[in-house]
Order: sequence, then structure tokens, then C-alpha cells
Amino acid sequence: MQKSKGFSSMREAFGRMISELGDEHKDLMVLTADVGNSTKAVYFKEKFPNRYFNVGISEQHLIDFAAGLAATGKLPVVAGFAMFLMRAWEQIRNTVCRMNLNVKIVATHSGYSDYNDGSSHQSLEDIALMRVLPRMKVVVPADSWEVRRSLPVILREPGPIYYRIGRDYSPPITESFKYDFKIGEATVLKDGSDLVLIGAGVVLWDAIKAAEKLEQMNISTAVIDMTTIKPIDEKVIETYARKTGRIVTIEEHNVIGGLGSAVSEVVVKKYPVPIRMVGASDFGRSARSQRELLDYYKINDKSLMNASLELLRLKS
Amino acid sequence: MSLYNNDIHLGSSLSTVEILTTIVLKFKRDGSSEDKDWLILSKGHAAPALYAVLAEKNLIPTNELWKIQDINSILQGHPEIFIPGVDMSTGSLGQGLSFGVGVAEGLKMSRSNGRVYIIMGDGEQDEGQVWEAATHAASMKLNNLISIVDANGYQLDDATEEIKPKHYLPEVWRAIGWNVVHCDGHDIISISYALENGINSRKPTVIFAKTIRGKGLPLIENSKKQKVNNGDAEE
Repeated sequence: MQKSKGFSSMREAFGRMISELGDEHKDLMVLTADVGNSTKAVYFKEKFPNRYFNVGISEQHLIDFAAGLAATGKLPVVAGFAMFLMRAWEQIRNTVCRMNLNVKIVATHSGYSDYNDGSSHQSLEDIALMRVLPRMKVVVPADSWEVRRSLPVILREPGPIYYRIGRDYSPPITESFKYDFKIGEATVLKDGSDLVLIGAGVVLWDAIKAAEKLEQMNISTAVIDMTTIKPIDEKVIETYARKTGRIVTIEEHNVIGGLGSAVSEVVVKKYPVPIRMVGASDFGRSARSQRELLDYYKINDKSLMNASLELLRLKS
Repeated sequence: MSLYNNDIHLGSSLSTVEILTTIVLKFKRDGSSEDKDWLILSKGHAAPALYAVLAEKNLIPTNELWKIQDINSILQGHPEIFIPGVDMSTGSLGQGLSFGVGVAEGLKMSRSNGRVYIIMGDGEQDEGQVWEAATHAASMKLNNLISIVDANGYQLDDATEEIKPKHYLPEVWRAIGWNVVHCDGHDIISISYALENGINSRKPTVIFAKTIRGKGLPLIENSKKQKVNNGDAEE
């Protein structure tokens, strides 16, 4: 875990925030499948023991149990490892989404954030799996600040939401920004006219670093925080496709079906421009830190620079 | 319905029709939304039987029944909540009990007197999720939960005992902590006694209802046969 200034833990932010929100939402229930400590959902238990359920190691049951609670008007928040919640994809599809139930799925340990446990625990496919489901919304906060900003909004939004967070690596990305989070609305972290970098999650840290270096080369680079991957902010994508003519996406997820794909789907429809995608293309492995894995798999500022320069060469 | 549409699961609808009739017409309380009882047809392929019973209750127009699975009909091949009287969209086996556990707990937390009835198949007991839910329900002592296993002895490919034996299941449910009751699934009085037993139990109840697949249609009775051909229309 990084101890540097501004770095924080995303699951910690979730655990603290959800416990705070329990006062306001009397119907809020927090559910987990034996990962209350790992997801920090257990903070809610300390405050509201009667509204906290550990169903045992049974993710499929967890999702349908949440669906049943939601059907009676409760507001269930399911907390689990992103990877193992995917085990209940069919339950999410056939019960939660088909019935359009008010179930909030908080998926922790996404991407490479469970760096030490290796590929079995790392989730690089979940955005694709959730994005394809009718009625499901997909939200990926950039950092702990965005968790605090967005979680209250998520709880007020009706219907199923997949909320994807990491574990303990959360570099400061949105800390100094002042904006209200709205579902379906991206945040322009930095304006620019030659190129736009679009990212979601902790890798936006790399996007900001890459943008700074590109600026030093006199390349005016915009950075967009695409917190909501579905419904995606088509307007901001079209605006920046027109304005810059070049897009590079970055995600801690497989490039197939993730953020890059979602952006491309909009671009081909609204205003076709060249796109490059930085992301994963295989399973992960164990390492000593999440940062180490992001660099190992080249999901970092260097790759963004290379992809950006390639696009600039293409057009000039 | 089968005469109009040969694609329905006729055999497993006929094994469960008395169970559905007894619950829907005799036990299920509709009342206000807070105190109403819930009925979950976890073996969603018996939808034709459910629709027929809902029509008896005037929740679905009788002439809609003949349109089952028609592209313009509200009646889907498996239950959907947009159909009046349907409490859960089902069709994928093994999910009804988990959902029912959630509803039962939600009702208890709201201090509602509502009960949850869940109808499963015996073949459905193969699904691992049934056991995730059964163990959780027992640990929460949800006595407002009554599951009925329609034990018609068949699953899709063959007799249940041929695919994977089921005879020991009542003992497993009992060991987990459920109140286990047996009944004749075609005898409304026997079903009623079993349901009364469940209502008065302090534990969640599972009723093993012995049934005959395709009951009432000798051409498919007690077999895995699903269809009655048009030439057999007299049946």
C-alpha cells in the first residue's frame, strides 16, 4: 500500500461512507458473502448490526437474496470481490436485471488491486460482463474522493448499479476538483485541443501524468474521467472527438468490451476519429503491488504517451 | 393450452397444478401490499399451470391462456413479473429459493405477516444454489418460508433417480434445520394439511409433494414425455 501524500484506500472510503449513509437510508442493508472485513463492509455492521448480513461463501445466493430484499422495498448493497461476484452473473442477469430491482453491487478488489493473490482474484472482464446487461448501470470511481462523491448519488438512483472499486491503491486524482457527481456525466479533469485521454478508475493517475508530459512537448491534451461507463456520456465524447480528432483510452480491464470499446461505440456513431486503447489483454499474475502490475502490463503513462504520439504522427 | 401450443412443458405443469391451485385459491392472502403472501414458481417451466390458476382467480383473462407464447401475448414461456399475479420472474432453476429467502427476511424486517411460498422441482434440487439458500434460511429461522418440492420423479433427460438419486433429500433438508413434511401432491386435502403444518412451524418448512408427471393424460403420465400430438386431441 502506498503511503505517499494524497494516496488512500478505496475500500476504506467505501466502508466509511456506507456506514455514514446508513443514518439517512433506513432501508439500507449491507450484504456480503464472507468478505465483510476485506471489503470493509464490516464498518456498517459495527453501526447497524441488524441491517448487515453475511450469507456465507455463496455469491449466487447473495445476489438473489439481495434481489428478494429489494423486491420488498429494501435498499440492498452487496459488497464482494469483483471477480467472485461474476460467478453470479446469471443471477444478476436473470433476476436482478430482468426484474429491474434496486440492487447496488459494490465490487471491490477490481482490476489488479488484489495484486498478491494473482489471476484467480483479479477482475479484468467485469465491466464487459456488466455493461452488456439491459438496465444495468456501470460506475467506476477514479479514487477515494470520487467514492465519497458518488456513493450517495448511487443509493438515490433507482435500479441495478454495478459499482467498481479497487482495494488499497488510490492515487489522488479528483481530490482538488469541485463537482457534483451525476450518473452519466463525465468530468473533464483537464481541457486540451490536440488529443484526449479518456480513462476510468485509478489509471487516470497515469493519464494525468501523461498529459503533463505531452504538454511539455506542446501537445494540448485533455483528460476525461469517465466515471459512468454505462450510460456513457456520449455528449462529452462527441465534443472531444470533434475538438481533438484523436482519442486514447486507458482502463484497468481487458480492452475487449471495456471502456475503450464503450467509447468506440459512441465515436463510430457520432464522429469517427482514430482511437487507441491501453488496457489488459490477458490474465494477470501475482506481484508485490498493484502499481508494479500496471507497469508490468504496460497500463501506464508511458503506453499512453506512445499511443498518443502514434496518433499524432498518423494525422500530421 | 397444449392443443394450441405444443411447446409448453405439459408434464411438469400437470404435476404441479393441484399444488398451485391449493396455494393460490386457498392459502395465498392478497391483502395490502405489505401483508400479502408471495408465490414464487421457481420451476418456472410449469408456467402454463400457474397461468391457468391465475385465470381461475380472474387475474388473467381466460381467452389469453390460448395465446401462451404467442408474440402478441403477455403470457411468456416462463413467468415474468409484468404478468398479473406473478411475484418473481423465473425460468432459470435454483434461484427462487434464494429470492424467497430475501423476501421472507425483508417481510420480517418490515414486521409484515406475509408468507413466502416457493415451488421447486425435484430435478431443480441438483442446483448448488438451492443449498446455499437452504442453509441460509435455516440459520435465519425463517418460519414465514414454505417451500414445496414437486417430486414428480423426472427431470429433462430422464427419471431423477437415473440422473442423480434424490431419495435422500428429505433427510438432508431435515439435517440442515428445516421442518420436513410429506404430502400427496395431487390431493388438495393432503396438500392443505402440509401447508397448515408449515404455517404453524417455528422453522422454515419444506414439503415433499409426491406427484405424477403428466397426471391426467395417460399418454404422457409418469413418463418424460412432454407433448400430446394433435391427433390425440381427444385426451
